[in-house]
Amino acid sequence: MIKDYFNDLVSGIEDKMAHDPKNRTPRKVYALEVARLGQRLYGGNDRVAWCGVAAPFDLLTAMGVTSCFVEFVGAMLASTGMAPAFMEEAERAGFAGDICAYHRSVMGAAQKNMMPIPDFLIATSCPCSGGLAIMENLAKEFEKDLFVLNIPQEASPEGVRYLADQMRDMVAFVADQTGEPLKDDALMEIIKQTNRARQLMADVYALAQSVPSPANSMTLSNLGIVMALLLGSPQGVEVAQAYYDDFSEKVARGISGAKNEQFRLLWIQNRIQYKNPLIPFLENELGAVIVADELNSITWDPIDPQDPYTGFAKRAISIPFNGWGARRISHLKKMAKDYKVDGAINPCHWGCRQGTGMRGLIADGFKEIGVPTLNLEVDCVDSRNFAEGQLKTRLEAFTEIMEARRG
Amino acid sequence: MAEKNSLKIGFTCANTPLPIIEAAGFSPHRILPMGDCPDLSGQHLHDNLCPHVKKSLDAALSGDMPDIAGMCFMNSCDAMRRMADAWRALRPDDPLLLLDLPTTTDSRSISFFADELRRMAKALAKWSGAPFDESAVKTCASRFNTLCGVMKSVSEKYRSRRLEGGAARIQELRNMASTQSTIKSLAALEEIDCQPLSDPPEYDSADPDAPVPVFLFGNAMPDPKAFELFESCGIHIVGDDLCTGSRMFQPISLEPETEEDETGDIYLTLARGIMRRPPCARTFSAQNPGAIADDILSGAKACGARAVMGHILKFCDPYLDRLPMIRNRMKEQSVPLLLLEGDCTLRSVGQQGTRIEAFVEMLR
Repeated sequence: MIKDYFNDLVSGIEDKMAHDPKNRTPRKVYALEVARLGQRLYGGNDRVAWCGVAAPFDLLTAMGVTSCFVEFVGAMLASTGMAPAFMEEAERAGFAGDICAYHRSVMGAAQKNMMPIPDFLIATSCPCSGGLAIMENLAKEFEKDLFVLNIPQEASPEGVRYLADQMRDMVAFVADQTGEPLKDDALMEIIKQTNRARQLMADVYALAQSVPSPANSMTLSNLGIVMALLLGSPQGVEVAQAYYDDFSEKVARGISGAKNEQFRLLWIQNRIQYKNPLIPFLENELGAVIVADELNSITWDPIDPQDPYTGFAKRAISIPFNGWGARRISHLKKMAKDYKVDGAINPCHWGCRQGTGMRGLIADGFKEIGVPTLNLEVDCVDSRNFAEGQLKTRLEAFTEIMEARRG
Repeated sequence: MAEKNSLKIGFTCANTPLPIIEAAGFSPHRILPMGDCPDLSGQHLHDNLCPHVKKSLDAALSGDMPDIAGMCFMNSCDAMRRMADAWRALRPDDPLLLLDLPTTTDSRSISFFADELRRMAKALAKWSGAPFDESAVKTCASRFNTLCGVMKSVSEKYRSRRLEGGAARIQELRNMASTQSTIKSLAALEEIDCQPLSDPPEYDSADPDAPVPVFLFGNAMPDPKAFELFESCGIHIVGDDLCTGSRMFQPISLEPETEEDETGDIYLTLARGIMRRPPCARTFSAQNPGAIADDILSGAKACGARAVMGHILKFCDPYLDRLPMIRNRMKEQSVPLLLLEGDCTLRSVGQQGTRIEAFVEMLR
């Protein structure tokens, strides 16, 4: 079923692009590559590794492994409306309704044989304890070998060395699993592609800060976190290049990505993954455009080909969800200033202790720089309790606050 | 050494390296999630964080804790990390440490945790204004191990129903030993250990009122009255693996295991000793996923329990996410299992009374 979904998605996007070159928007290029990734994961021909969010996906690509964080499946199931059935399956199996819905839907899918059986799994201790526990569950469910990367909280010399050494161990583990060692030329090639995509994405995010922004509320949705899966590949560079070309042209010509950019918003953490009317309502009826997403940022230096594991380690440690909350708050405040936003929206994904847990502290941080925050109560994957009317009312009230602050 | 100035270092996790705190001349004080402090943490942390964290923070914000010279947090789970964030923001004058605790116990992780212990020693020396005495670490760890031994001896007396006060008394002693220096706790426990034993109640094996021996696992439940309540429902806790229970008082092995240990790196030895103690759900084995269920099963068998009871705090991902594995394992082995969800209040335990009684009825 899911394999067919991805096949249909790929052929549909390819047809549209072939039919009219104007359809080759950056979002379509991105969607096509995401769909192709889904095809590879579900196709049955590739070596597959289910991973934690902070895994070095480009390094796994260099070793001939198609890898993906499991939350991707949760998001995909939500976007297609299939997640609730799988969550019910997980709840029947004893997974509490209070745990993250990304993880519940993944466990339900695994139990219904809707997750491809991986060759092995790579768990990461960042971003969350729940994600780590789910990887342990999946390893048991699939009876496949599990490798754990402990991501230190700080980029201290000891922490970086510890993670870099673990990544070397991971390479040995993968080689053991696949029977193929990492080749130097493959490593150098993915580093080249990763650094190229990294630079393009940094430029894309800088362009997105323009007023008006070349992005509308959906252009950059989920981009940063999913781009991690495409790093190290020519496809990753292609997606980044498509965004760069589009944004460069729009900024040069002063074209706004949205029809009516009255208010600029920063979206905290993840988007709501199922179909919902909030974003169109915000943009079309309230003139509030999401120009920035927390995860759309480059927090790491280019990978040094002479010392790649140190670079991969520093990159994983630099994720804003890692370490002290104060670091994340500083990062958010900087984004708010760089993107010149009028307000921030925190969906407060239910079940997310690491992210939602500090919502009060985040709101306090924004208050210090005069940016109002709207804390919603939304489950970003579980649509069963979605309260459209209440949420719309709160968005309207928030827009009024932003308007009043302008005087 | 400990006791020289009785300054306290607060902590909230059973994995906290107490010998380092004591070797630095401080007295460890666990902030226990109990009491009736108003909910102040809710303004800063989301409602979906575990009550262990929120109630500990409530105690701190309400001033329901002694003066401290600093706090030592463990990065044991998301909620603990968020509590450290909130503490830093809301009690900015408290010096803070957040120690990274790897989730696996391989040699690289132990070595990294040893570096964290070195960092901790340096920070504590700065807080105390005195150089850190590395030679005191082994003495403090040995004393802690002696304390664990005496605690085990007293617990055995409870198990054989010869300790006045039952399970509630044991929990009071554990709370006492969590909130003062090892020297003081040891003196108090040794005195209790030497006291004459009460006669155990005699039950015929067919006696329908005989308490049912149960193994209790889970996270934090420090209120002694909760244990009274458990017992009043007809269970006898013959073994436990709770964060505020026996897990807190597991000895730290100081035996050298590698040539590196022979070099006398006390931080490495201590790191290994701490990380190799029986873990809570947040630490696991990549080579043996689901081992937590085996550990609970063997814990139950070792103490002769007829059933297993889990008391899990709401929103505790490390446990909640692993409950299906635990449930399946118990089912495979035909071990009766009762799972309770709590919030560190007596009220929540009280609401479960009927379920516990029904469970006991089923077992009798």
